[in-house]
Amino acid sequence: MDEDILTTLKILIIGESGVGKSSLLLRFTEDNFDPEQTLTIGVDFKTKKLNIDGNTVKLAIWDTAGQERFRTLTPSYYRDAQGAILVFDVSSYATFSKLSTWLNELETYSTKSNIVKMIVGNKIDVDNREVSREEAMKFARRYQTLYIEASAKTRDGVQTAFEELVHKIIQTPGLWESYASDNIHIGDREHLPRSSCASYCGLV
Amino acid sequence: MADVLTEIVQPDDLKKFEKIYHEQLYKNDVTPKAQFEYAWCLVRSKYPTDIQKGIILLEELYKTHEEGQRDYLYFLAIGNARLKQYTKALNYVRSFLVIEPGNQQVITLQQTIKKRMEKEGLVGMAMAGGVVLAVGAIVGVGMAIASKVKS
Ligand SMILES: Nc1nc2c(ncn2[C@@H]2O[C@H](COP(=O)(O)OP(=O)(O)OP(=O)(O)O)[C@@H](O)[C@H]2O)c(=O)[nH]1
Ligand SMILES: [Mg+2]
Repeated sequence: MDEDILTTLKILIIGESGVGKSSLLLRFTEDNFDPEQTLTIGVDFKTKKLNIDGNTVKLAIWDTAGQERFRTLTPSYYRDAQGAILVFDVSSYATFSKLSTWLNELETYSTKSNIVKMIVGNKIDVDNREVSREEAMKFARRYQTLYIEASAKTRDGVQTAFEELVHKIIQTPGLWESYASDNIHIGDREHLPRSSCASYCGLV
Repeated sequence: MADVLTEIVQPDDLKKFEKIYHEQLYKNDVTPKAQFEYAWCLVRSKYPTDIQKGIILLEELYKTHEEGQRDYLYFLAIGNARLKQYTKALNYVRSFLVIEPGNQQVITLQQTIKKRMEKEGLVGMAMAGGVVLAVGAIVGVGMAIASKVKS
């Protein structure tokens, strides 16, 4: 079953508590929404396969808790991540203002300097929007991150967000490694001994 | 691939939070925060003795610090699962779900533990044995949370 997987990527989801990180993940992995989604304890973890440009990649997604009492330890999960999704709630300006803090934290604790960052403005289904698309895009441009608006509730933008992030990671040289090592042709992979995972074992 | 049951704490983190905890212990003034952070590191150690120590700290917190009880239960489940004490782990999960039946994170953890047991061929064993044994210990836990939720 794993034969066709190009690589496994480690993706982080960070941002203030209540902005909808876990809801976005639940929508993406199980196409589900829970209006009573409970706040995350520590970190949560889910995997999902995604087909991008004709290749299947496996995503190992770490969904961190935004609540203050978990903050001292969540950065230890940033290690080796190739992509980070920074979420804010478009109906709460305060969560948008905190983005620079989250970007700083990422800068400090992520171990890959070319990690791909994406800002997601979530909850675009709500009426009382406090952060305009223009302002968020301007911010994203300034910090050179991708930007997408989404609603975990209505599905809008959720799939696209993950796809664009992965697309950008795959396009970034040196950020990820293929399961097949350099001198072995991909087609020959099933003849390799099990221990040939050396190249990707190090990634996760 | 590493998941919540296999990812390993960074030795630096473990040392850092161990130091904070021990400094407070020395002054006889351990805050729940320091104890929790140290325990969270310990249960993610690759050494079973560390995990065991983490479990003891979490059990103590569970009894003394009401506010964080759901957090402690969750990590108690993780710590026990990592020690392959699956029946105990599943009982912590189950008592959590009695209070919060829809908690996605804990449902996922339950599935992860069960998958792990299947892989290790332990499913039948847990069904036959452990369950009855551990129920007694768990009922107390469940009631403690229940009363907390109501208050
Ligand atoms: N209207 C609306 N509500 C949403 C949306 N996404 C999430 N919510 C709700 O917002 C609340 C918080 O969502 P969570 O996904 O738990 O937030 P979180 O960012 O994971 O929070 P922490 O785990 O504490 O960091 C829940 O009640 C969700 O149902 C959305 O797109 N639209
Ligand atoms: Mg969450």
